Amino acid sequence: MNLIFKRSAPFIALLGLALGGCQPDLNDDPKSSAGQADFSRYIAVGNSLTAGYSDNGVYREGQLNSYPAILAQQFQKVGGGAFAQPLFPEANANGSGYLTITGFNGATPVLGQVAPNGVVGLGADASTPLLVRYTGTDNQNLGVPGIRVADIATNGYGFNNPLGFNPFFERLLPASDARSYTQYVQERVATIKPTFFTNWLGNNDVLGYASSGGTAAPLSDPADFRTKYTEIVNVLTTGGAKGLVATIPNVANVPLFTTVPTASVIGQVRSAPVPAAIAGQLTAALSLTPEQAATIRFGLFIETTVTTPTGPSTVVREATAADLLLLTASSVINTPSTTANPFPRGLGISITGLAPAQAAGLAAAAPANALPSRFVLDAGEIAAVQARTTELNAIITEVGRSKGLAIFDANTFFNGLARNGLVVNGVSNTAAFVSGNLFSLDGVHPTPRGYAVIANEMIKAINATYGAAVPGVDVTAYRGVKFPQ
Amino acid sequence: MTVKTLLLAGGAVLVGASSANAGGFQVYLPSQQSIGMGGVGVGLSMEQAAQFMNPGAMAMLRQNGVQVGMSATFARVAFRPISGGEQRQLQNSTVTPFNVYASFGPKDSKFRAGISVYTPYGSSLKYEQGWEGRFALNEITLRAVYIQPTVSYAITDQLSVGAGLMILSSGSVNLQRSIALPSAEGKIELDGKTKTGFGVNAGIYFKPSDKLSVGLSYRSKIDAKVEGGNVTVSGITPALQSRFVGDKFDATLPLPATVNIGLGITPNEKLTVGLDVNFTQWSEYRSLRFDFSKDGAPAQVGTGTFSESKRSYQDGLTFRLGGQYKVTDKLALRLGGAYDTSPVKDGYVTPETPDNDRVIGTAGVGYNITENFGVDASFMFQAILKRTQTEAQLLDNGTTDRVAGTYRTNISIPGIGLRYNF
Repeated sequence: MNLIFKRSAPFIALLGLALGGCQPDLNDDPKSSAGQADFSRYIAVGNSLTAGYSDNGVYREGQLNSYPAILAQQFQKVGGGAFAQPLFPEANANGSGYLTITGFNGATPVLGQVAPNGVVGLGADASTPLLVRYTGTDNQNLGVPGIRVADIATNGYGFNNPLGFNPFFERLLPASDARSYTQYVQERVATIKPTFFTNWLGNNDVLGYASSGGTAAPLSDPADFRTKYTEIVNVLTTGGAKGLVATIPNVANVPLFTTVPTASVIGQVRSAPVPAAIAGQLTAALSLTPEQAATIRFGLFIETTVTTPTGPSTVVREATAADLLLLTASSVINTPSTTANPFPRGLGISITGLAPAQAAGLAAAAPANALPSRFVLDAGEIAAVQARTTELNAIITEVGRSKGLAIFDANTFFNGLARNGLVVNGVSNTAAFVSGNLFSLDGVHPTPRGYAVIANEMIKAINATYGAAVPGVDVTAYRGVKFPQ
Repeated sequence: MTVKTLLLAGGAVLVGASSANAGGFQVYLPSQQSIGMGGVGVGLSMEQAAQFMNPGAMAMLRQNGVQVGMSATFARVAFRPISGGEQRQLQNSTVTPFNVYASFGPKDSKFRAGISVYTPYGSSLKYEQGWEGRFALNEITLRAVYIQPTVSYAITDQLSVGAGLMILSSGSVNLQRSIALPSAEGKIELDGKTKTGFGVNAGIYFKPSDKLSVGLSYRSKIDAKVEGGNVTVSGITPALQSRFVGDKFDATLPLPATVNIGLGITPNEKLTVGLDVNFTQWSEYRSLRFDFSKDGAPAQVGTGTFSESKRSYQDGLTFRLGGQYKVTDKLALRLGGAYDTSPVKDGYVTPETPDNDRVIGTAGVGYNITENFGVDASFMFQAILKRTQTEAQLLDNGTTDRVAGTYRTNISIPGIGLRYNF
């Protein structure tokens, strides 16, 4: 009987194979298409995000995983052409250098720096590194890290000169080229004759202010922003190209500002016991009542800038949970003082119910070792950043609409991401530092997976606006933060 | 050939059952004769497979007999991610569910005893490497072999009852998936054997006239329990290895109860028509939970010491219609069809059962080589209708542990069986 089964098995197998040819086909359901768009020649305009900046640097792997590169790869499935990027050569793959995880201290990653090998010298200002120049004439990824809309019309922005310059723009231009970014884009448009573009400028018009704790570049002026933003979009659409513009995400949502938990740091500082000797001396020196003396405790103090009738002035105050401590503050708070002030950095004494004279006495006798402003985005600065972001986004959206462009509302998307995270194909991603997969080690710029998520969101906006069916990518095929393997 | 050698032979060839041949991971392939007729038989007393479909009908069999059958399932799954990426397919694999039935009764006795081996539940799927759902599943093999000794008693010439002890004698589960790590992918394999489980298969059969018969049967739920299954993890990033310490797992998979109603019509000697409805209590399958341990204590694998994935199946109904026409004394032709409602709700579709309602067509042929010895060939085609689930549906149901996209499956199942009556 077994024999009969053995004999009939091949027959059954054959029959099954013949009939098993009924492989269902979903590839035309729906069929990929470019819709009303034409992706044959694509250029990308923007800043560090467009350049593929990641882990605090531009390096080859980051460039290869830039969102324009991912978009171009998907566009190719619906008639898109080749896409040239100003890649660092293999021999200079580490580019401007970048942050990496070198090990772990318990569960906390220890960060180290991968040395740059794409630096060829020092600029005429004796401080800006000169990067390996991209000599190709085919560049389609025009992302320049650090550039603001406020900078795009500035002549000499990428010109190696003693007053300083942008090295990432300098490496895209021929040597000693004093053109502005807008002029460079004009030349690219004239040469490439793009049929499609993306424009994600604007982030640095608020980020520079925010990431320096409000100490560096000011927030860009909306009127100037409107003029320059409109001009660059006009340049991009001169040949009738279709395209996409993207809004500015609320920078307060990125790990640079959210990783150090202000409330918990404040709690820890407050619960640290004040040595009895200090309490005793202060009680005597300030003639504290027993009730006042009972409230002596440590507090976390920060420097903030307030506007007074005579101009901005620096004020020291105790931090509240509404202030955002930057990622960089974590290696500073409660470390030994670097000044004459005997308190550890960020710490000071707080006493409740002091009379003005007593308060002045405390400030004189035991001034707080306040955290410098660059480590804190204080509540006032947060409000200023958010208000300006909203204003600039309104301009971006208005200009985009007036030209009938697709609009990727990055602000809305990243707000949702910060609230709910993003689960794709069963893999959880959040806006958290390191563990969230989407933000790189600088706490601001995405990882390759973060860029893939952005590319997919842009594709959704493009598909909706132009009736296209550009396929998205499997974002889980792109890495998060690189762990030692 | 004795029953014992038959069982041994069966055990050796029992390679498993495939890719969900009835809703969920149920495999409804009673016998080659029944398959040819759309799977009907609860209200019929045609063959030894009555033991499985309705033990009550066994006492009405007039002859002792042994029958064995084997099917080969060729599943073709297509998946397309919701983002519109390219279609993914299964790596082709074939599995061969098997059935063995034998019954004996002294001539003119109202009693009849039987034994059967069958595979009512199972699944075997292997997805394309690197497919979008790899963090939910790469590969699954689920097997459950039931052995059932049965007695049946004819109370009158028209009414008979029967009951069998269902023994989940051997079962196994093997599940493989990828693990998402920040900058790498690991692999995890869960492999375990089920403990022996017991249940009841009981039925009643009534034949008020020569032309009409009805049947009702019930098969109880058996929990397939795995205790101390092996967890094998590989490719984990060194810094995260402390999260993957568990090396054993426990899990329970309900093999749900079914209630079956059947109607048999015999207008003349040549024609037999059956109409069946199967009700499967899939609502028992609420979640799939794995508890991980090491050295008897709970131990972390991934994010915690257990993983739980929602299933929330709903009860399913299957409607079957089929018939047999005896062209000659030797040759019988069979035809049938079925419609199977999926137990899987929108937003709950998982790669291990890429399920939806199924439309089933069957055909078969039987040939009596001698008076006692016959051979049956069957063919079943199942189209699992297209099923799309969106990311929004997954979010709404808290089922984001699976993948959004569109599934579509075709299954071809040829089979051959032999029967010997004496």
